[in-house]
Amino acid sequence: MLDWLRFLLTTGFLLSGIIILITSVIGVYKFDYVLNRMHAAAMGDTLGLLFCLLGLTFSAPDIWTVLKLLLIIVFLWFASPVNSHLIARLEVTINPMWQQLPPPPGTPAEEDNE
Amino acid sequence: MSKRRSDWESRPQARVRRWFYKGFLALDDEIAEKISSPPPPRFDYEEALEAQQAAIDSRQHERSIAIERLDQHNLLVWMRTRGRKAISRLYVALALVLGLMMMVFLLETVALMPRFGDPATPGANEVSARYIEKGLDETGAVNIVAGMILDYRAFDTLGESTVLFIAASAVLILLRIDHDKEGNPAQELIAAESDDRHYEPRDDRILQGSAMVLTPIILLYGIYIILNGHLSPGGGFSGGAIVSAGLILYLVAFGFEKAGRFFTTKTFTWVSFFSLSFYALAKAYAFYMGANGLPSGIPLGTPGAILSSGLIMPLNIAVGMVVACTMYVFYALFRKGGL
Repeated sequence: MLDWLRFLLTTGFLLSGIIILITSVIGVYKFDYVLNRMHAAAMGDTLGLLFCLLGLTFSAPDIWTVLKLLLIIVFLWFASPVNSHLIARLEVTINPMWQQLPPPPGTPAEEDNE
Repeated sequence: MSKRRSDWESRPQARVRRWFYKGFLALDDEIAEKISSPPPPRFDYEEALEAQQAAIDSRQHERSIAIERLDQHNLLVWMRTRGRKAISRLYVALALVLGLMMMVFLLETVALMPRFGDPATPGANEVSARYIEKGLDETGAVNIVAGMILDYRAFDTLGESTVLFIAASAVLILLRIDHDKEGNPAQELIAAESDDRHYEPRDDRILQGSAMVLTPIILLYGIYIILNGHLSPGGGFSGGAIVSAGLILYLVAFGFEKAGRFFTTKTFTWVSFFSLSFYALAKAYAFYMGANGLPSGIPLGTPGAILSSGLIMPLNIAVGMVVACTMYVFYALFRKGGL
């Protein structure tokens, strides 16, 4: 009974993670603009890998493997969104299209780049 | 008194008398002048000779200096024009000879070696069997790979670490932007820093916050992998790469000013130098004592404990330090051209 539960949980999480990853890959190849592609890639990295690793934790043999996998999840949840944020910031900094627009409300005044 | 005398001299009689005796008095004056004035200098022959000799000497000296300068100038010109060509030709010839010699030696060695994949060679049978069977007893390392690369084939690993160090030094020579003679930052450095400010994330709150959480974890994980290299998969190379990744994350988040507080070119040089020389000395000691499972005075400990397997853990630490420094220096040089 418990083995069946573990198996079902593992397969369910893994399958959903794989579906999300496939969606994100399709999005990366479908979109043209940087921010759209970045959005798709970040979604795949965070949610898809979270589901895959959660599925793996349910079939882990001992508690240490579970802890290591949780640590990897924490790491990925730190790393991937921050990477996407940096890419977006670089795009906004470089692309002249964004510099013509007024800054969104609530942003602090930027220091001079000199 | 003088007044009286002048009165006396200005009397009419005296005036007449003076007028009368004027010629004699003029003669007297001339004689007195001749007597009072010093005699004309005599022509000193020796002094003139000496002066002439000194003039000749100084002229010769100047001439010799000029000749020397001309020689130096000619040498410089030769070095710049024909000498450079000659030296480069000599260099090319020597390099060709050395390269051909190496090729001949290596081809000779390859011809002497057994065929690749031959099942009857000792490399395919005895060596791997010995590594697997006796590796734990002889090296004390549970991780057989660590026992192989840091005990049986430690010389090869020393070469790899040295190659990393040499590569980092070469990149340092090529890409480093120096300060000028007054100690001010060069124009390229200022340009690089302004580019850096424009294109790189500087003072990004989100990145800084995540780096503050992640950097200690990454560094600890890298140190764990280095220290546990003889017990689990990992070791100096992979652990050093992870440590350098943590350092690079810190550098990206907080900039060169804060990272320069604990890591400069001097740090890189000394850490690499001490790690490599420690590695070389430790393995030289092991080789000198026989190296092949002979007693070298270093206890192997119980297999599986953290303090076991003799020299493997210190060597892992040395390799990890070299690798971490090298990768960090690579990143810093390619991004800014300095540390």
